Parts: sequence; structure tokens; C-alpha cells
Amino acid sequence: MIGQIRSEFLKIRSTRTTIGLVVGMVVLVLLFVLLTGFLSHGKELTSSEDQRSFFGIGSFASVFAALAGILVVTGEYRFGTIRPTFVFTPRRWVVVTAKYAASLLAGIVFALIGQGLTLAIGLGILSGRGIHRSLSWSSIVQLGLGTLAAAALWGGIGVGVGALVRNHIGAVVGVLVWVFVVENLLFGFVPSAGRFTPGRAQDGLTGMTTDHLLPAAAGGAVLLVWSLGLFAAGLAVTRARDVD
Amino acid sequence: MPAVVAADSLTKRYGKLTAVDGLSFELEAGTVTGFLGPNGAGKTTTLRMVLGLAKPTSGGALVFGEPYARLQRPALRVGAVLEATDFHPGRSGRNHLRTLARATGVPDARVDEVLRLVELDAAKNRRVKGYSLGMRQRLGLAAALLGDPELLVLDEPANGLDPEGVRWLRDFLRSFAAGGRTVLVSSHVLAEVAQTVDNVLIINRGRLVVESTLPQLTARVGGAVRVRSPQLGALREALADEGIEATETGGVLFVRGAASERVGEVAAASAIVLHELVNEGSSLEEVFLELTADREIR
Repeated sequence: MIGQIRSEFLKIRSTRTTIGLVVGMVVLVLLFVLLTGFLSHGKELTSSEDQRSFFGIGSFASVFAALAGILVVTGEYRFGTIRPTFVFTPRRWVVVTAKYAASLLAGIVFALIGQGLTLAIGLGILSGRGIHRSLSWSSIVQLGLGTLAAAALWGGIGVGVGALVRNHIGAVVGVLVWVFVVENLLFGFVPSAGRFTPGRAQDGLTGMTTDHLLPAAAGGAVLLVWSLGLFAAGLAVTRARDVD
Repeated sequence: MPAVVAADSLTKRYGKLTAVDGLSFELEAGTVTGFLGPNGAGKTTTLRMVLGLAKPTSGGALVFGEPYARLQRPALRVGAVLEATDFHPGRSGRNHLRTLARATGVPDARVDEVLRLVELDAAKNRRVKGYSLGMRQRLGLAAALLGDPELLVLDEPANGLDPEGVRWLRDFLRSFAAGGRTVLVSSHVLAEVAQTVDNVLIINRGRLVVESTLPQLTARVGGAVRVRSPQLGALREALADEGIEATETGGVLFVRGAASERVGEVAAASAIVLHELVNEGSSLEEVFLELTADREIR
């Protein structure tokens, strides 16, 4: 298993795909942080809630971690490397579990970069503009650690979805539509159900205070269930299906 | 000792289509076996079932006495190349091999060793995107050789190789098997592997058509005896009396199932004049086509 995880890490590192995703995330995070930080009126950044959602921009890391997780699986089907992978490691659960583990760690890296940049630049902008930091350190720590955990779990969600869908375009588009459209509609219209979606569960975990969100512990637990559930489903499908 | 590969009534159905139909065969250690059949005969499906990539509908296959998926670190015993295109185009050849080496606990030193063996040393740090088809074939072979296996399974390895590449592959496979190791190599062109294989398995429409050694198959070729005579009609009757079939085309008689000596004797016994009596050995390829074509009728 250790060898397989090392193999999966090397797969992630040895193409430009992951670097591309990291660059994409950094660009997006910088764009939102700089625009929000410099263009917002000072009054819009003073309350602790304003600052919480400002620093929450780092949660973009989760989406990119999910995309990375998807591509870890779908890339193998797309380019046919799944055949040598399974010929070398015919116990498919070992391969899928190693991909899940590698993607959890990749998610943490995404969060360290995305959330780290957001906090560093965001705090810098606040102090540069002479805006008092009203969000407590404990809330900032919860936000940071919550994003780390969430991005890790989202990396695992990506592996599960990738294993279920196999097609990279279908899986990527599906996850983006889910995150940016379905979750928002569901939470907007049926918050009692919408708060159990992985994105809103992450909001609960990171300490967001929007109405109807789950408390932090429950949010973390729900996100964990999503991640492990999709992993289990992807694993079952991978074991059952033939490889062409 | 169990057979290197033993397939037992291996069957694969996709809906109504039966891709592989009750296929049974065994491979002996130290032999090179050609797995032959036209495109769509079920060769690739069979190899995928042997390697655990596809599940048989019924029947099964054992590799070294066990289902492939039960082998511990199978790459140390079995090397396989299924498609010449199974690479991430953006990854270097060397990194492709390193990902596989890590998965099975083979050191990077072995990666460089197999790269030298397949003569890809100079290109190893380039992205696979820039490789020719021949280079990709060799990279696939290098991956199969990482674990220094006892059995090599190759699906259509000569596709896309230039004549020099085909010769290189042939020499390589012969030297591989010379050390007591086993090769199963599929092809839809018999001529491609005729100089390499000891045994042939010919399948068509998922069924085993011929299982024999290459010399046996060659003997079976026999071919036809070509006869020219001013008395063709009389000769044909004389042969028919002896139970020998002959067909006439364009003033020439082709006799099957009898040696030229026998045809000559029959002619002499009936005092028939012969102008020409020639053994026409049909090529292996013709036999192959014959064996696989007569079942094309739907």
C-alpha cells in the first residue's frame, strides 16, 4: 500500500496537470482577495462576519482539490494507464485507496497554499488600510484548520466521483455544476436539506455563521460521510467493472 | 508444476455477442506461443481476462496456478503490454516507468536498466507526447520487463513497427524465451510471428480453431499439386476413382490431399500424359486465412 501511495504521488507530481490546478487556484484566490480587499468600502470589511467571509475566499482550495482528485482517477482511464496500473496492482481496492490517500494529502497542500495566501494577503491588506482585525484568532484558526480538513476530504470526494464517472469532462462539469449551482439552489430554497450538502457542511465546519448552517462538528462529520461514502461507491464500481 | 497459463472454458459475453466462447488452452514454460486470429476474434478480450482486467462470464484462467489477481506482486512474474498507447502524454518515459516501479517495489536503478535494454536511454526524460509509435511500443515493453518476469504477454506488439523494429522484437522475444521463459504474443498476421513462435493458438469468433506446434501447422499446409495435361477430364475421373479431389481452373488441375507422387502414379496407371506436375506449397498465411475465413459465414 505504501508503494502504491508513493506511485500515486509520483503520478500527481510528474505531469503538469496538478501544477496547472495550483496555478489556477492561486490566480483565482489572488483575484478575489485583491479585488475584495482593495475595492470594498472600509465599512464592508470591519465586522467580524465581513472578515470571516473575506478570509473564507481560501475555501476555493476545496474545489481545486476535488478537481485534482477527479483527474487522479479519470486521467488513468483517459490515457489508458489504468491498464498497466491494474496489471501491476490487480487488487483494485489498493489502487483506489492509495489514490484516495494521495488526494487527501494533495487537498491539504491546496488548502495550505490557497488559505495561506488568503490569510497572509488579507491580513496584510486590513492592516495596510488601517482596518481593525475584529475576527478573533480562534475563529481564524478554525477557518484555517477547517479549510485544510475540508480540502482534504474534497480531494477524496474527487476520487470517488472520478471512479464513478470515469469520464474527465463529465466528472469535472458535474462537480462544478453541483458546487456552484445545485448546492446554492438547494440551500437557498430548502436550507434544511441544503445544509447537508458537502459545500455547506464545509461552511459549517469552517465556522461560517450564515443562518441554517450546521454547527462545526456536525458539518465536519457530514463532509466526512460524503467523502467516505463517495469513496466507497467509487471503489465498489471500480471493482465490479471491466477495464476495456 | 502448474501450466504457466491455463485457460479453462473461458467465455465472455457482451449482451448477445459472445466475444470469447469456451476457450481452453495451456502454455508450457519456455515456449513462445502465437495467439492468432483476425481482428475481432476475441484475442484482446481473452488476454484481458487472463490478466484480471475483465471478468469472464463463465470459465476462468489461471496464471502460474492462480487467478492473476491473487498473485503476490504479479509484475515480478508476469509482464504485459496491452496497448501501445497507454501513457500519459505529458509524463516522461522514465517517470512513467518509475510510477509502476514504485507500485511493485522495484528500484529506480532497474528503471534505467530496462530503458537501456529497449534502447530508449536517450529519450527517457522527454515527454511521451514526442515519442514515435515504435518508441511507445518499446516503452510499453520496458514497463513489462520492470519486474524481470517469467511470462511476457504482448497484444499485437508489431503494430506500427517498421521492419527493423519487427526484427528487433523477434530477436528480443527469442532470446527472452531461450532462458526458459514463456511468451504469449497475439497477432492478426501470422507472418509477423511465424519466425518467432514455437506454438500457435488460432482463434476465430471466440473459438479455438487450431492448437498446434508451428511445424505441425506447416505440415498441415500441404498445399496443392498443380497438374497440366491434355487429358485433364480423364485425369480428374481417374483421381476421383481413387477418392482424390481435384478442381480445374483455367486449364490447370489443382489436386488437394495427395502428394505429387501419388498423382503421377494415378496418371501413369491410366496412361494419361502429363505436361506438368508441381507441388505448390501454399504459404502459412494462406492456411491461416483459410482456417479463419471459412467461419465468416453468418
